[in-house]
Amino acid sequence: MANVVMPQLGETVLEGTVVRWLKQEGERITLDEPLFEISTDKVDTEVPSPAEGVLERILVAEGQTVPVGTELAIVGTGESAAGEALSEEVPRMAAPAESATEVPAIPAAPAAPVASAPLGTSAAAEVPTPPPAPAVPESVSDDAGTEAGERLPDRGPRSAILSPVVRRLAREHDVDLARVRGTGPGGRITRHDVEGAIVVGNVPPDGESAALSAPEAAPAIAAEPPPVAQAPPSAVTPVASVSTPAAPSSNEPAVTRPEAPVVANEDEEVQPLSHLRRAIAGHMLQSTQTAARAWTLVEVDMERIVRLRERVKEAFAAREGFKLTYMPFVTRATNEALLEFPMVNAELRGQDLILRRHVHMGIAVSIDGGLIVPVVRNGDEMNLVGLARAIDDLATRARGKQLQPDEVHGSTFSITNPGAYGSLSSLPIINQPNSAILSFDAIEKRPVVVDDAIAIRHRVYLSMSWDHRVIDGAMATLFLTRVKEHLETWDWDEDLDHG
Amino acid sequence: MTRPGWLLEPSGVIEYHRANEAMHELADRRLEDDVPDSLVLLEHPPVFTAGRTSKPDHAVWDEDRFRATGAEVRHIDRGGSFTFHGPGQLVGYPIVDLGSRPDAIGYIRNLEEVVIRAAADLGIPLHRSPVQTGVWSGDRKVCAIGVRIKRMRVTLHGFAINCTTDLSWFDAIVPCGLASTGVTSLSALSGRAVTIRELSPLVRARFSEVFAMAFVSAPATETARFVGAVANVS
Repeated sequence: MANVVMPQLGETVLEGTVVRWLKQEGERITLDEPLFEISTDKVDTEVPSPAEGVLERILVAEGQTVPVGTELAIVGTGESAAGEALSEEVPRMAAPAESATEVPAIPAAPAAPVASAPLGTSAAAEVPTPPPAPAVPESVSDDAGTEAGERLPDRGPRSAILSPVVRRLAREHDVDLARVRGTGPGGRITRHDVEGAIVVGNVPPDGESAALSAPEAAPAIAAEPPPVAQAPPSAVTPVASVSTPAAPSSNEPAVTRPEAPVVANEDEEVQPLSHLRRAIAGHMLQSTQTAARAWTLVEVDMERIVRLRERVKEAFAAREGFKLTYMPFVTRATNEALLEFPMVNAELRGQDLILRRHVHMGIAVSIDGGLIVPVVRNGDEMNLVGLARAIDDLATRARGKQLQPDEVHGSTFSITNPGAYGSLSSLPIINQPNSAILSFDAIEKRPVVVDDAIAIRHRVYLSMSWDHRVIDGAMATLFLTRVKEHLETWDWDEDLDHG
Repeated sequence: MTRPGWLLEPSGVIEYHRANEAMHELADRRLEDDVPDSLVLLEHPPVFTAGRTSKPDHAVWDEDRFRATGAEVRHIDRGGSFTFHGPGQLVGYPIVDLGSRPDAIGYIRNLEEVVIRAAADLGIPLHRSPVQTGVWSGDRKVCAIGVRIKRMRVTLHGFAINCTTDLSWFDAIVPCGLASTGVTSLSALSGRAVTIRELSPLVRARFSEVFAMAFVSAPATETARFVGAVANVS
């Protein structure tokens, strides 16, 4: 009987996706006959069967991405019962030996926290951080590693092969690799092992791993009942049964890295991240790891603008061919304030602050499967109608996927408008390399005190996430107050007349 | 250590399906060790090819509209998403035996290296992207790469470098599924016409250097397989 594993197609390749099975369970196969296809980066590879016999069981379904060395299928004589074969394989499946954090392709990020990130809720803050734990219980992973190594083609003493990631990590944390026990194929030292050594040695992990650990653990905790999550891999129920096309996986929370095979229960569905989703994930995570984010909120009286808009909206729509929204008002007021507060419009580049005499305003637009932030260039030179046209044009083309590449780059500040969906207030993540992002939420009628009487007014919460490396609280507040003043007092008629 | 390799440069514009068939045949024979490692350099008429990971939303148009432009649409077996081949684009199909322990990603990085060095010979600085395969200038792609490895040994498909390509063809697709990036050409970057004829010898030389391969011209009958033997002989 032969075990079919995810082959390693290069020193830096840590995972692969099963694209297609070329044989079905129960079919006969000859030695070296193509058995399945895998995809890594831009390479599809046809993998031949390691043995002659019958494809007894497929353990990883098409579309699944699993670490190198993961058991994918069993080719047997066709005589042994499938159940026997499976029970024998379970302990091995449970320990995908090499699941280091660096992928050559796209910097992946955990799905759950990212999904909520654009609108600002920080999943990391809401989830209890699990104690740092070594990747896999040593005894189990050791066995699995050795076996995986035996099945892989021999390329010399594997324990001596170190990936660049491992070398860098070891160097950065002064880890003596001679003292690290390798759990990868053939006793090879993986990133996991080095990270384990760092934790054990009480060396504080670097910012990246520290920041990653909390959100990473979240999906695992949410997806699994605690007792299972704590169970050693050998006790794991065979989730990768025929009926469930789930990837084999370890159930240790600390092992649930972004690239680890996904554990899906029968009532769950696995959906691989799209390119867009991955790009957003990387961008958002990078921002939270870069900026020293702080947040300030003001309330703005929108009564004048609401009335003005009611008055002109029909004529505007008839003349311009699209609806007048509140976004151009807020953008106009913000642009004006940014010229007065250049630090809020600045970018921290290395040890230098880059200041600008123009505003390129990023406008967050929700599109199918994600969001994109097209840029209104030199928006500070536009009046209300000009901004309205530019925003409508960009948003329309963003939804139609017709933006040019340079139209989503080079923003100096960004605005997000979750209020369109009814939010009262939001805590957005800064769109790097900007220094701040403004959130414009829902306008509602509220009772307010005006001249010692209670009045009903249209009000909105306007808030800003800002990078404390560049901006201080006083400046952030003065800036927001200036935006508020503009919104409450600007003579918009002039803008509309000269559209 | 330099290995001998065949260079195949079928002249004229080569139909995609013809080249695809001949390339697969060559790879089959490479697996049998009947032929040495080879590099095929050619130019295609307009054709949109969809790799295995292509999704409907990577195409801006539907297939009928593609065909209305006179271009073909082909669903093929390489990695990657949609791409375009056509006049003014140098396409390279290396048929290389990567051995019994193939380093697929190392191979891709080598292809990128060939293109980066060849462009540098023309004074055009190109680079890799930290997140996406291909060769780039800024956030614009100059060279697309998509590969298939047969029997976990022999490479198929390869690279496509925009020389004088009419870039408006790419409006029809989101190249390789990348919504936020664009496409450019060596000509657009250098402000003058950089032709296939000018680039080919540079790619040949740099490929030879990076892959440690000494090229000899393949027998004419081999090159003819890409053109269509009957038409060529008569």
